[in-house]
Amino acid sequence: MIKKTIIYIIITIVLLYLVACSNTGLKRYSAEFLFLFDTTTQIVGYSTSEEEFSDYVNFIHKELEEYHQLYDIYNEYDGINNVKTINDNAGISPVKVDKRIIDLLLFAKKAYQDTDGKVNIALGSVLSIWHEYRTKGVDDPENAKLPPLELLEKANSHTDIDNVIIDKLNSTVYLSDSEMSLDLGAIAKGYAVEQVSKAVEKKGLTSGLIIVGGNVRAIGYKGEDNEFWNIGIRNPDMQSDEGDLYRMNIAGMSIVSSGDYLRYYTVEGKKYHHIIDPDTLYPSEYYRSVTVICEDSGIADVLSTALYNMPIDQGKKLVESREGVEALWVYNDGEQEYSSGFFDYVSASLE
Amino acid sequence: MDFFKKKDILIIIIILIVGIGFWYTYNNTPNDETVKAELYYYNELVMTIDLSQGIEKTFSIAQKPKVVFHLSEDGKICFIESDCPDKVCINTGEIYIAGQSAACLPNGLVLKIVSDDEDEKFDTIIGN
Repeated sequence: MIKKTIIYIIITIVLLYLVACSNTGLKRYSAEFLFLFDTTTQIVGYSTSEEEFSDYVNFIHKELEEYHQLYDIYNEYDGINNVKTINDNAGISPVKVDKRIIDLLLFAKKAYQDTDGKVNIALGSVLSIWHEYRTKGVDDPENAKLPPLELLEKANSHTDIDNVIIDKLNSTVYLSDSEMSLDLGAIAKGYAVEQVSKAVEKKGLTSGLIIVGGNVRAIGYKGEDNEFWNIGIRNPDMQSDEGDLYRMNIAGMSIVSSGDYLRYYTVEGKKYHHIIDPDTLYPSEYYRSVTVICEDSGIADVLSTALYNMPIDQGKKLVESREGVEALWVYNDGEQEYSSGFFDYVSASLE
Repeated sequence: MDFFKKKDILIIIIILIVGIGFWYTYNNTPNDETVKAELYYYNELVMTIDLSQGIEKTFSIAQKPKVVFHLSEDGKICFIESDCPDKVCINTGEIYIAGQSAACLPNGLVLKIVSDDEDEKFDTIIGN
Protein backbone atom coordinates (compact mmCIF):
# COMPACT_ATOMS: atom_id res chain seq x y z
CA MET A 1 0.00 0.00 0.00
CA ILE A 2 2.84 2.39 0.85
CA LYS A 3 4.49 1.56 -2.48
CA LYS A 4 1.34 2.44 -4.32
CA THR A 5 0.91 5.66 -2.43
CA ILE A 6 4.44 6.61 -3.40
CA ILE A 7 3.67 5.85 -7.03
CA TYR A 8 0.56 8.05 -6.89
CA ILE A 9 2.60 10.85 -5.41
CA ILE A 10 5.24 10.49 -8.14
CA ILE A 11 2.58 10.53 -10.87
CA THR A 12 1.06 13.63 -9.34
CA ILE A 13 4.42 15.39 -9.13
CA VAL A 14 5.22 14.52 -12.74
CA LEU A 15 1.83 15.85 -13.84
CA LEU A 16 2.25 19.04 -11.84
CA TYR A 17 5.70 19.47 -13.30
CA LEU A 18 4.40 19.12 -16.85
CA VAL A 19 1.61 21.58 -16.17
CA ALA A 20 3.50 24.19 -14.22
CA CYS A 21 6.98 24.42 -15.63
CA SER A 22 8.71 24.91 -18.86
CA ASN A 23 12.22 25.02 -17.60
CA THR A 24 14.33 27.07 -20.00
CA GLY A 25 17.54 28.97 -19.55
CA LEU A 26 16.26 32.05 -21.38
CA LYS A 27 14.37 34.79 -19.59
CA ARG A 28 12.08 37.41 -21.01
CA TYR A 29 13.22 41.03 -20.85
CA SER A 30 11.85 44.20 -22.34
CA ALA A 31 12.98 47.79 -22.81
CA GLU A 32 11.51 50.93 -24.24
CA PHE A 33 12.68 54.20 -25.63
CA LEU A 34 11.03 57.31 -26.96
CA PHE A 35 11.53 59.66 -29.89
CA LEU A 36 13.12 57.55 -32.62
CA PHE A 37 11.12 57.83 -35.85
CA ASP A 38 8.68 60.10 -34.08
CA THR A 39 7.17 57.25 -32.07
CA THR A 40 7.87 54.82 -29.23
CA THR A 41 10.14 51.79 -29.60
CA GLN A 42 9.78 48.61 -27.58
CA ILE A 43 12.28 45.77 -27.55
CA VAL A 44 11.34 42.36 -26.20
CA GLY A 45 13.96 39.65 -26.02
CA TYR A 46 14.69 36.24 -24.52
CA SER A 47 18.18 36.26 -23.13
CA THR A 48 20.38 34.38 -20.67
CA SER A 49 21.01 37.47 -18.53
CA GLU A 50 19.99 41.07 -18.12
CA GLU A 51 23.48 42.20 -19.16
CA GLU A 52 23.30 40.27 -22.38
CA PHE A 53 19.87 41.75 -23.13
CA SER A 54 21.12 45.27 -22.33
CA ASP A 55 23.92 44.80 -24.85
CA TYR A 56 21.38 43.93 -27.53
CA VAL A 57 19.17 46.87 -26.56
CA ASN A 58 22.07 49.32 -26.69
CA PHE A 59 23.08 47.97 -30.06
CA ILE A 60 19.53 48.25 -31.44
CA HIS A 61 19.14 51.76 -30.04
CA LYS A 62 22.43 52.94 -31.49
CA GLU A 63 21.66 51.48 -34.90
CA LEU A 64 18.08 52.77 -35.03
CA GLU A 65 19.26 56.21 -33.94
CA GLU A 66 21.77 56.33 -36.79
CA TYR A 67 19.08 55.40 -39.31
CA HIS A 68 16.73 57.93 -37.74
CA GLN A 69 19.28 60.72 -38.13
CA LEU A 70 20.18 59.73 -41.69
CA TYR A 71 16.54 59.62 -42.84
CA ASP A 72 15.40 62.74 -40.95
CA ILE A 73 13.92 65.51 -43.12
CA TYR A 74 13.40 68.06 -40.33
CA ASN A 75 16.65 68.20 -38.35
CA GLU A 76 20.35 68.58 -39.04
CA TYR A 77 23.03 66.65 -37.16
CA ASP A 78 26.68 67.55 -36.75
CA GLY A 79 28.94 65.90 -39.27
CA ILE A 80 26.12 64.03 -41.06
CA ASN A 81 24.69 64.57 -44.51
CA ASN A 82 21.13 63.34 -44.19
CA VAL A 83 17.94 63.49 -46.25
CA LYS A 84 17.38 67.09 -45.12
CA THR A 85 20.80 67.95 -46.60
CA ILE A 86 19.67 66.38 -49.89
CA ASN A 87 16.43 68.40 -49.82
CA ASP A 88 18.28 71.62 -48.98
CA ASN A 89 20.51 71.08 -52.00
CA ALA A 90 17.71 70.37 -54.49
CA GLY A 91 18.61 71.96 -57.83
CA ILE A 92 21.96 73.07 -56.41
CA SER A 93 24.31 70.13 -56.16
CA PRO A 94 24.68 66.40 -55.53
CA VAL A 95 25.21 65.48 -51.88
CA LYS A 96 27.62 62.81 -50.72
CA VAL A 97 25.74 60.50 -48.36
CA ASP A 98 26.07 57.32 -46.32
CA LYS A 99 25.47 54.03 -48.15
CA ARG A 100 22.41 53.47 -45.97
CA ILE A 101 20.70 56.44 -47.67
CA ILE A 102 21.65 55.20 -51.15
CA ASP A 103 20.31 51.73 -50.33
CA LEU A 104 17.03 53.09 -49.01
CA LEU A 105 16.51 55.34 -52.04
CA LEU A 106 17.14 52.43 -54.41
CA PHE A 107 14.66 50.37 -52.37
CA ALA A 108 12.17 53.27 -52.59
CA LYS A 109 12.52 53.53 -56.37
CA LYS A 110 11.72 49.84 -56.66
CA ALA A 111 8.78 50.30 -54.30
CA TYR A 112 7.45 53.03 -56.58
CA GLN A 113 7.55 50.63 -59.55
CA ASP A 114 6.04 47.74 -57.59
CA THR A 115 3.09 49.76 -56.30
CA ASP A 116 2.11 51.65 -59.47
CA GLY A 117 3.37 54.88 -57.92
CA LYS A 118 1.18 54.62 -54.81
CA VAL A 119 4.26 55.01 -52.62
CA ASN A 120 6.32 57.98 -53.80
CA ILE A 121 9.17 59.34 -51.70
CA ALA A 122 9.39 62.37 -54.02
CA LEU A 123 6.00 63.62 -52.82
CA GLY A 124 7.61 65.90 -50.21
CA SER A 125 6.36 69.16 -51.70
CA VAL A 126 2.73 67.97 -51.43
CA LEU A 127 3.12 66.32 -48.02
CA SER A 128 4.73 69.39 -46.48
CA ILE A 129 1.65 71.46 -47.39
CA TRP A 130 -0.60 68.94 -45.65
CA HIS A 131 1.76 68.82 -42.70
CA GLU A 132 1.54 72.59 -42.29
CA TYR A 133 -2.27 72.73 -42.58
CA ARG A 134 -2.67 69.77 -40.22
CA THR A 135 -0.36 71.21 -37.56
CA LYS A 136 -2.19 74.55 -37.68
CA GLY A 137 -5.56 72.79 -37.67
CA VAL A 138 -4.78 70.72 -34.57
CA ASP A 139 -3.47 73.79 -32.80
CA ASP A 140 -6.45 75.96 -33.71
CA PRO A 141 -9.40 73.67 -34.54
CA GLU A 142 -11.87 76.57 -34.97
CA ASN A 143 -9.91 77.90 -37.93
CA ALA A 144 -8.78 74.58 -39.43
CA LYS A 145 -8.65 74.72 -43.21
CA LEU A 146 -8.03 72.40 -46.14
CA PRO A 147 -5.18 73.22 -48.51
CA PRO A 148 -6.55 74.57 -51.81
CA LEU A 149 -6.38 72.02 -54.64
CA GLU A 150 -4.50 74.47 -56.92
CA LEU A 151 -1.74 74.73 -54.35
CA LEU A 152 -1.48 70.93 -54.10
CA GLU A 153 -1.53 70.53 -57.89
CA LYS A 154 1.18 73.11 -58.33
CA ALA A 155 3.34 71.29 -55.75
CA ASN A 156 2.57 68.00 -57.49
CA SER A 157 4.38 69.17 -60.63
CA HIS A 158 7.56 68.72 -58.59
CA THR A 159 7.17 65.08 -57.55
CA ASP A 160 8.78 63.14 -60.37
CA ILE A 161 10.79 60.34 -58.78
CA ASP A 162 13.00 60.18 -61.90
CA ASN A 163 14.45 63.51 -60.81
CA VAL A 164 16.03 61.76 -57.85
CA ILE A 165 19.46 61.11 -59.34
CA ILE A 166 21.38 58.41 -57.51
CA ASP A 167 25.07 57.92 -58.22
CA LYS A 168 25.86 54.64 -56.55
CA LEU A 169 29.53 54.68 -57.51
CA ASN A 170 30.23 58.07 -55.93
CA SER A 171 27.58 57.61 -53.24
CA THR A 172 25.80 60.88 -54.08
CA VAL A 173 22.16 61.93 -54.45
CA TYR A 174 20.94 64.90 -56.45
CA LEU A 175 17.42 66.28 -56.78
CA SER A 176 17.46 67.84 -60.23
CA ASP A 177 14.22 69.79 -59.63
CA SER A 178 14.90 72.65 -57.23
CA GLU A 179 11.26 72.67 -56.00
CA MET A 180 11.16 69.01 -55.08
CA SER A 181 11.83 67.30 -51.76
CA LEU A 182 11.98 63.80 -50.34
CA ASP A 183 9.69 62.52 -47.58
CA LEU A 184 10.50 59.01 -46.40
CA GLY A 185 7.70 58.75 -43.84
CA ALA A 186 6.00 55.79 -45.50
CA ILE A 187 9.10 53.75 -45.93
CA ALA A 188 12.06 54.63 -43.67
CA LYS A 189 10.84 53.15 -40.40
CA GLY A 190 10.08 49.69 -41.77
CA TYR A 191 13.28 49.62 -43.79
CA ALA A 192 15.42 50.64 -40.80
CA VAL A 193 13.72 48.10 -38.51
CA GLU A 194 14.44 45.35 -41.06
CA GLN A 195 18.14 46.23 -41.35
CA VAL A 196 18.57 46.53 -37.59
CA SER A 197 16.77 43.29 -36.82
CA LYS A 198 18.96 41.43 -39.34
CA ALA A 199 22.05 42.96 -37.73
CA VAL A 200 21.06 42.05 -34.17
CA GLU A 201 20.17 38.54 -35.29
CA LYS A 202 23.69 38.23 -36.70
CA LYS A 203 25.00 39.42 -33.37
CA GLY A 204 23.31 36.47 -31.72
CA LEU A 205 19.81 37.42 -30.61
CA THR A 206 17.65 34.41 -31.42
CA SER A 207 14.32 35.44 -29.98
CA GLY A 208 12.98 38.98 -29.89
CA LEU A 209 10.54 41.63 -31.02
CA ILE A 210 11.37 45.09 -32.30
CA ILE A 211 8.28 47.26 -32.18
CA VAL A 212 8.52 50.77 -33.60
CA GLY A 213 5.11 52.43 -33.60
CA GLY A 214 2.83 50.29 -35.77
CA ASN A 215 5.74 48.23 -37.14
CA VAL A 216 6.40 44.88 -35.50
CA ARG A 217 9.34 42.71 -36.47
CA ALA A 218 9.71 39.30 -34.85
CA ILE A 219 13.15 37.70 -34.62
CA GLY A 220 12.81 33.94 -34.49
CA TYR A 221 10.30 32.21 -32.26
CA LYS A 222 9.27 33.27 -28.78
CA GLY A 223 11.56 31.83 -26.11
CA GLU A 224 13.20 28.45 -26.43
CA ASP A 225 10.16 26.30 -26.97
CA ASN A 226 9.46 27.40 -30.55
CA GLU A 227 6.29 29.18 -29.53
CA PHE A 228 4.74 31.81 -31.75
CA TRP A 229 4.66 35.46 -30.79
CA ASN A 230 1.15 36.73 -30.09
CA ILE A 231 0.53 40.03 -31.81
CA GLY A 232 -2.82 41.72 -31.35
CA ILE A 233 -4.35 43.74 -34.16
CA ARG A 234 -7.11 45.94 -32.91
CA ASN A 235 -9.98 47.23 -34.95
CA PRO A 236 -9.28 50.93 -35.42
CA ASP A 237 -12.88 51.74 -34.55
CA MET A 238 -12.32 53.41 -31.19
CA GLN A 239 -15.81 52.56 -29.96
CA SER A 240 -15.46 48.86 -30.58
CA ASP A 241 -14.68 46.44 -27.81
CA GLU A 242 -12.34 43.48 -27.44
CA GLY A 243 -14.57 41.59 -29.87
CA ASP A 244 -12.73 42.97 -32.85
CA LEU A 245 -9.26 41.97 -31.86
CA TYR A 246 -7.25 39.44 -33.83
CA ARG A 247 -4.53 37.41 -32.20
CA MET A 248 -1.83 36.80 -34.81
CA ASN A 249 0.78 34.05 -34.47
CA ILE A 250 4.07 34.86 -36.12
CA ALA A 251 7.74 33.86 -35.97
CA GLY A 252 10.49 35.59 -37.96
CA MET A 253 7.89 37.79 -39.68
CA SER A 254 6.74 41.41 -39.71
CA ILE A 255 3.36 43.01 -39.19
CA VAL A 256 2.72 46.63 -40.16
CA SER A 257 -0.51 48.61 -39.85
CA SER A 258 -1.40 51.85 -41.60
CA GLY A 259 -4.41 53.75 -40.44
CA ASP A 260 -6.22 57.03 -40.18
CA TYR A 261 -6.84 56.94 -36.45
CA LEU A 262 -3.80 58.62 -34.86
CA ARG A 263 -2.58 61.49 -37.00
CA TYR A 264 -5.39 63.63 -38.31
CA TYR A 265 -7.14 66.96 -37.99
CA THR A 266 -10.74 67.92 -38.32
CA VAL A 267 -12.18 70.46 -40.77
CA GLU A 268 -15.89 71.26 -40.50
CA GLY A 269 -16.57 68.01 -38.69
CA LYS A 270 -14.67 65.79 -41.12
CA LYS A 271 -11.40 64.06 -40.26
CA TYR A 272 -8.43 64.42 -42.59
CA HIS A 273 -5.57 62.05 -41.83
CA HIS A 274 -1.94 61.93 -42.88
CA ILE A 275 -1.78 59.27 -45.62
CA ILE A 276 -2.00 61.16 -48.90
CA ASP A 277 -2.95 59.38 -52.13
CA PRO A 278 -0.39 60.50 -54.77
CA ASP A 279 -3.15 60.39 -57.42
CA THR A 280 -5.81 62.52 -55.72
CA LEU A 281 -3.40 64.53 -53.50
CA TYR A 282 -5.96 64.12 -50.70
CA PRO A 283 -6.10 61.71 -47.77
CA SER A 284 -7.07 58.31 -49.07
CA GLU A 285 -10.62 57.33 -48.05
CA TYR A 286 -10.90 53.69 -48.99
CA TYR A 287 -10.23 52.20 -45.55
CA ARG A 288 -9.80 52.88 -41.86
CA SER A 289 -6.77 50.65 -41.70
CA VAL A 290 -4.70 48.15 -43.62
CA THR A 291 -2.41 45.57 -42.04
CA VAL A 292 0.26 43.64 -43.91
CA ILE A 293 2.09 40.48 -42.83
CA CYS A 294 5.27 39.38 -44.57
CA GLU A 295 8.84 38.55 -43.72
CA ASP A 296 10.55 41.85 -44.59
CA SER A 297 9.50 44.79 -42.44
CA GLY A 298 10.52 47.30 -45.13
CA ILE A 299 8.29 45.63 -47.72
CA ALA A 300 5.46 45.36 -45.18
CA ASP A 301 5.71 49.11 -44.55
CA VAL A 302 5.65 49.94 -48.27
CA LEU A 303 2.75 47.61 -48.96
CA SER A 304 0.60 48.81 -46.06
CA THR A 305 0.80 52.38 -47.41
CA ALA A 306 0.33 51.27 -51.02
CA LEU A 307 -2.72 49.13 -50.19
CA TYR A 308 -4.18 51.95 -48.11
CA ASN A 309 -4.10 54.11 -51.25
CA MET A 310 -5.67 51.51 -53.58
CA PRO A 311 -9.16 50.18 -54.26
CA ILE A 312 -9.66 46.64 -52.97
CA ASP A 313 -9.44 44.84 -56.33
CA GLN A 314 -6.11 46.41 -57.17
CA GLY A 315 -4.87 45.77 -53.62
CA LYS A 316 -5.86 42.10 -53.60
CA LYS A 317 -4.20 41.61 -56.96
CA LEU A 318 -1.01 43.14 -55.63
CA VAL A 319 -1.02 40.99 -52.48
CA GLU A 320 -1.84 37.73 -54.25
CA SER A 321 0.87 38.39 -56.85
CA ARG A 322 3.54 38.38 -54.15
CA GLU A 323 4.58 35.27 -52.33
CA GLY A 324 4.47 35.29 -48.54
CA VAL A 325 2.36 38.44 -48.22
CA GLU A 326 -1.00 38.57 -46.44
CA ALA A 327 -3.25 41.52 -45.65
CA LEU A 328 -6.29 42.69 -43.72
CA TRP A 329 -8.37 45.64 -44.90
CA VAL A 330 -10.83 47.35 -42.55
CA TYR A 331 -13.40 49.66 -44.14
CA ASN A 332 -14.79 52.80 -42.57
CA ASP A 333 -17.98 50.95 -41.54
CA GLY A 334 -15.97 48.16 -39.85
CA GLU A 335 -16.45 45.63 -42.67
CA GLN A 336 -13.32 43.66 -43.45
CA GLU A 337 -11.55 42.00 -46.35
CA TYR A 338 -8.73 39.45 -46.14
CA SER A 339 -6.14 37.99 -48.45
CA SER A 340 -6.40 34.25 -49.13
CA GLY A 341 -3.89 33.15 -46.46
CA PHE A 342 -4.54 35.76 -43.78
CA PHE A 343 -6.25 33.36 -41.40
CA ASP A 344 -3.26 31.03 -41.46
CA TYR A 345 -1.71 33.53 -39.04
CA VAL A 346 -4.78 34.08 -36.86
CA SER A 347 -4.77 31.97 -33.72
CA ALA A 348 -8.01 33.34 -32.37
CA SER A 349 -10.52 36.02 -33.13
CA LEU A 350 -11.68 36.90 -29.65
CA GLU A 351 -15.34 37.35 -30.33
CA MET B 1 1.31 -8.57 -13.03
CA ASP B 2 -1.19 -7.48 -10.48
CA PHE B 3 0.60 -4.38 -9.34
CA PHE B 4 -1.91 -2.07 -11.00
CA LYS B 5 -5.40 -3.15 -10.17
CA LYS B 6 -8.55 -1.73 -11.72
CA LYS B 7 -8.98 0.48 -8.71
CA ASP B 8 -5.49 1.90 -9.15
CA ILE B 9 -6.06 2.71 -12.78
CA LEU B 10 -9.28 4.42 -11.74
CA ILE B 11 -7.39 6.54 -9.24
CA ILE B 12 -4.77 7.44 -11.84
CA ILE B 13 -7.53 8.49 -14.22
CA ILE B 14 -9.12 10.57 -11.48
CA ILE B 15 -5.79 12.26 -10.78
CA LEU B 16 -5.42 12.94 -14.50
CA ILE B 17 -8.93 14.40 -14.77
CA VAL B 18 -8.47 16.53 -11.68
CA GLY B 19 -5.08 17.67 -13.02
CA ILE B 20 -6.48 18.58 -16.40
CA GLY B 21 -9.40 20.24 -14.64
CA PHE B 22 -7.07 22.43 -12.60
CA TRP B 23 -4.95 23.19 -15.63
CA TYR B 24 -8.00 24.17 -17.64
CA THR B 25 -9.36 26.35 -14.86
CA TYR B 26 -5.95 27.95 -14.35
CA ASN B 27 -5.64 28.83 -18.02
CA ASN B 28 -9.18 30.11 -18.40
CA THR B 29 -9.56 32.15 -15.27
CA PRO B 30 -9.81 35.78 -16.26
CA ASN B 31 -6.78 37.55 -14.86
CA ASP B 32 -8.47 40.93 -14.49
CA GLU B 33 -7.07 41.40 -10.99
CA THR B 34 -3.57 41.56 -12.35
CA VAL B 35 -4.08 44.14 -15.09
CA LYS B 36 -2.49 47.49 -14.34
CA ALA B 37 -1.55 50.65 -16.16
CA GLU B 38 1.97 51.97 -15.80
CA LEU B 39 2.73 55.61 -16.45
CA TYR B 40 6.28 56.50 -17.49
CA TYR B 41 7.78 59.98 -17.61
CA TYR B 42 10.98 59.91 -19.68
CA ASN B 43 11.44 56.18 -19.05
CA GLU B 44 10.93 56.53 -15.32
CA LEU B 45 7.93 54.75 -13.81
CA VAL B 46 6.02 57.48 -11.98
CA MET B 47 2.67 55.83 -11.32
CA THR B 48 0.99 52.44 -11.33
CA ILE B 49 -2.78 52.36 -11.61
CA ASP B 50 -4.85 49.30 -10.73
CA LEU B 51 -7.49 48.97 -13.44
CA SER B 52 -9.79 46.59 -11.60
CA GLN B 53 -10.91 48.77 -8.66
CA GLY B 54 -14.03 50.03 -10.39
CA ILE B 55 -13.05 53.60 -9.63
CA GLU B 56 -13.56 56.50 -11.96
CA LYS B 57 -11.05 59.32 -11.75
CA THR B 58 -9.43 62.14 -13.67
CA PHE B 59 -5.85 62.96 -12.77
CA SER B 60 -2.51 64.50 -13.72
CA ILE B 61 1.06 64.11 -12.52
CA ALA B 62 3.05 66.91 -10.94
CA GLN B 63 5.68 66.87 -13.71
CA LYS B 64 3.08 67.54 -16.43
CA PRO B 65 -0.02 69.20 -14.95
CA LYS B 66 -1.35 70.14 -18.41
CA VAL B 67 -1.68 66.51 -19.43
CA VAL B 68 -4.85 64.94 -18.05
CA PHE B 69 -5.70 61.24 -17.81
CA HIS B 70 -9.04 59.58 -17.28
CA LEU B 71 -9.71 56.18 -15.73
CA SER B 72 -13.21 54.80 -16.15
CA GLU B 73 -15.06 52.42 -13.86
CA ASP B 74 -14.73 49.55 -16.30
CA GLY B 75 -10.93 49.79 -16.13
CA LYS B 76 -10.21 51.69 -19.33
CA ILE B 77 -7.68 54.48 -19.30
CA CYS B 78 -6.78 57.29 -21.71
CA PHE B 79 -5.27 60.72 -22.27
CA ILE B 80 -8.08 63.30 -22.37
CA GLU B 81 -6.16 66.58 -22.42
CA SER B 82 -2.68 67.55 -23.54
CA ASP B 83 -0.80 70.67 -24.59
CA CYS B 84 1.13 68.77 -27.32
CA PRO B 85 0.92 69.87 -30.97
CA ASP B 86 -0.31 66.62 -32.58
CA LYS B 87 -2.76 65.16 -29.99
CA VAL B 88 -1.73 61.64 -31.02
CA CYS B 89 -1.95 60.69 -27.34
CA ILE B 90 -5.63 61.66 -27.15
CA ASN B 91 -6.40 60.16 -30.56
CA THR B 92 -5.14 56.79 -29.34
CA GLY B 93 -8.29 56.49 -27.23
CA GLU B 94 -8.99 54.16 -24.34
CA ILE B 95 -6.61 51.29 -23.65
CA TYR B 96 -7.17 48.37 -21.26
CA ILE B 97 -5.69 45.14 -22.64
CA ALA B 98 -2.21 44.02 -21.55
CA GLY B 99 0.10 44.83 -24.47
CA GLN B 100 -1.57 48.12 -25.39
CA SER B 101 0.12 51.48 -24.96
CA ALA B 102 -0.46 55.17 -25.59
CA ALA B 103 2.22 57.84 -25.74
CA CYS B 104 2.64 61.58 -25.76
CA LEU B 105 6.15 62.09 -27.15
CA PRO B 106 6.31 65.89 -26.86
CA ASN B 107 5.65 65.47 -23.13
CA GLY B 108 7.76 62.34 -22.70
CA LEU B 109 4.84 60.29 -21.37
CA VAL B 110 4.01 56.66 -22.01
CA LEU B 111 0.97 54.86 -20.65
CA LYS B 112 1.24 51.09 -20.83
CA ILE B 113 -1.07 48.25 -19.88
CA VAL B 114 0.71 45.39 -18.17
CA SER B 115 -0.29 42.12 -16.56
CA ASP B 116 1.41 40.16 -13.78
CA ASP B 117 0.45 37.02 -15.59
CA GLU B 118 3.46 35.49 -17.35
CA ASP B 119 1.18 34.01 -19.98
CA GLU B 120 -0.03 37.33 -21.27
CA LYS B 121 -2.32 36.86 -24.19
CA PHE B 122 -0.43 39.41 -26.27
CA ASP B 123 3.22 40.30 -26.68
CA THR B 124 2.06 43.58 -28.15
CA ILE B 125 -1.04 45.09 -29.68
CA ILE B 126 -0.95 47.38 -32.70
CA GLY B 127 -3.63 49.46 -34.32
CA ASN B 128 -4.85 50.91 -31.06
